[in-house]
Order: sequence, then C-alpha cells, then structure tokens
Amino acid sequence: METLSTDEIIVERALTGDAEAFGEIVRRWERRIFALTYGMLGREEDARDATQETFLAAFRNLRGFRGEAKVSSWLHRIAVNQCISRQRRSKVRSESPLEDEHETGAASFAMPLSYSPARVAEGRQETAAVRRAINSLPIELRQVVVMKEFEELTFREIADVLDLPLSTVKSRLYTALRQLQMRLQKFESRN
Amino acid sequence: MNERDLSPTCERASDLIGFIYNEADEREAQDFKLHLRECSSCREEAAAFGLVRESITTWRDEALAGFVSTPVATTTNRKSALAALRQFFDLSPLWLKGATAFALLTFCALVGLVIFRSNNQQIATQQNPSAIYTAEDVNRAVNDALAKQQANAQRPVESPSEKERIVKYQKPKNVRPASPNQFAKSRRPLSRAEREQLAADLRLLSTGDDEPLHLLGDRINQE
Repeated sequence: METLSTDEIIVERALTGDAEAFGEIVRRWERRIFALTYGMLGREEDARDATQETFLAAFRNLRGFRGEAKVSSWLHRIAVNQCISRQRRSKVRSESPLEDEHETGAASFAMPLSYSPARVAEGRQETAAVRRAINSLPIELRQVVVMKEFEELTFREIADVLDLPLSTVKSRLYTALRQLQMRLQKFESRN
Repeated sequence: MNERDLSPTCERASDLIGFIYNEADEREAQDFKLHLRECSSCREEAAAFGLVRESITTWRDEALAGFVSTPVATTTNRKSALAALRQFFDLSPLWLKGATAFALLTFCALVGLVIFRSNNQQIATQQNPSAIYTAEDVNRAVNDALAKQQANAQRPVESPSEKERIVKYQKPKNVRPASPNQFAKSRRPLSRAEREQLAADLRLLSTGDDEPLHLLGDRINQE
C-alpha cells in the first residue's frame, strides 16, 4: 500500500541522504512555483530560470529548514526572493520584461483551433494587456495577486509566506484589484 | 491615478475581498450578501473585480499551458581542478599565460634539481657508507692513532734506517739548520775521552763481520 508522505516527511528523508526525496518535492511544487515566478516576472524564460534557482536554493539550504513553517511557505518565500532579486538585476541592466516580451507559442496553442485569426489576435492583445497591468503593479501588490490568482493560496497562507498580518494581505489585494481594473479599463477604452 | 482613487469606497472592502474569493464563512457570506443589496459601490466593485479575475485566469491558463517540467539537478556539479584551471587560462590574457608558464617551468627546473642532488647524495652514501662519520667513529680513530703512536714510541729501534726515520719525523720543521761556518766556529776540539767515546759509539754501529775501521782517532792515538 502506498502511503502519502507530507512535504515535511519528504524533507526529513532528503536530510537523511535520500537522493530521490528532494526530487519528489520538486515534482510536487514545480508547477506552482513556476506559476508564481511567471506571474511575478511575466516572461517564460525568466520564470523557468527563477524556478530552477528556487529549487537549487532550497536544496542548498535544506539543512536550514527548521520545520517551523510549512515546506510550501518556505519554497514560496525563496521563489519570491528569487523574483525580487532577478528584477533588481534586470533593472540594473535596464531590461524591460514587458516591452521585450514577444508572444510565446504557449498562448496561441492554448487558443481553440476553431477561433478565427481575428479572435486569436484579440485574445493575444488581451492577455498582453493583463500581463502588462500585473507587471506594472508595485512588487508588494503583485506578489499578493500572483499568489492568490496563480497559486490559489489562501489569505492565511499568503500571510505566512510574506510574514504579514491577514488584514494587510486583504487590503493589498483590494488595492491591487482596483489598480488592475483601472489599467484594463484604459486598455479597453483605447481599443 | 492617485491615492484617493484607490481608497475603498465602502468600509467593508475587506469583507468584499473575502466574499469574492470564497474565504468568508457561511455567516459572513450571508451577511455580506445582504450588504450587497444595499451598497451599490460594493456591487459595482464585486462585478469589476470578477472581470479582472477572469482576465487574469485566462492569462494564467495560457501561460501555464506551455509549462513543461524541467529536471532540476539536485547534485551540484563540481568542476574538477583541471577544468577550473583550463577555464581560468581561457579567460586570462596572454601575458598572464606566459608568466604562468615561465613560473611553472622554473618551478619544475628547481624541483628537478633538488631531486637530482638528493639522488647523487644517496648514491655517494651507498658507494662509501663510511663517508659519514659519527662522533664515536672519530673518537675511535683518534684513539687508534694515539695507541699506534705510543706503540711505535715504545718499540726498540731495530735498524738505523728506522731510527733515522723516527729522528727525521720528530725533527721540527721550522728550526733552521745552522750553517757550516757557524757549526765550525762553535765547534771546540774534542778531548781524548770524548774521542774515545765517539769511536766506541761508532764501533757499536758496525757489525762484527765488517772489517776493522781505520779510524782517524786511532791513528792520532797511535801517533
């Protein structure tokens, strides 16, 4: 009978030298961490790199994991820090992830084949607008939106990851949604 | 867009967020539904936020559709020292390469020299093991030499040649021999007794088989 192990048990196994254990953690959380980094960075390539760096950093600091927080919170915190430092570096290099970003094949593959080219183009414009709107948010608002919308974390989980009071998480999310609403309205009025 | 635009229009903004994300408990949700009937701003915001969330969900689904799991290497690949050196020299300028090569050659030459010298020393030791003397060896050699010298000194003189050799050996070198004139001036005429003694001494040196010497002293005495 296969027993389901919690993340904490798997980390314990990894700490005792089980080489496969950390791979299990990666498989469990990779997609969600990628979602977080993609939402934060807005570029697939950067998101992949940040995801890998997150897991490598987690592996290197495995012994520093004291078990006080959940493994998921720990991983998310590392991922957020990776994204913030990556954005700082790209700011220093004067890179703009929004302007440089070209539409990747992923978006067009996700469109149903029955859609007309005009509809596909419209959809691309809309997703590009959402991405721009999210990426233009201040980092403290963006991370809350991404954790909620991309990862579907609860307010309590977001508060744990970011070490914030629950009320602050809610007020930041409210402010973020208001800003996004206004930016998207602007985009719609232009079109 | 200023701060005033973003400030909540209703004091129940926090409840609105809990409601639209389905994180309000049943009682809170019922209570907020009643509030929505009365509060137009909350109604408008709830509808607008719903649209925003739809847009974000669409983007998220499109973005994550292209996600392919990539293996994360959990074993850190450490470069070998040779690979690291090679990379370092690939990046270093020409003068640094030259200087390093020169230093390396000098070092190799020095090491070779040291090895060569140590090998030579070993061979010499093997060929002449007594080449290295200890304090005991030196003391023993000195004692042997002294004993031999004492034995020689105590042994009676057997032949004139040996006596001569001993005399010659014991004669100090730095004493300048007197010239013949000086010797002649300082020589006094021998007395009779002395001459006889001298003759007797000279006779002792000759063997019995020799012919009797015609000594000048005998002639003088006969005269």
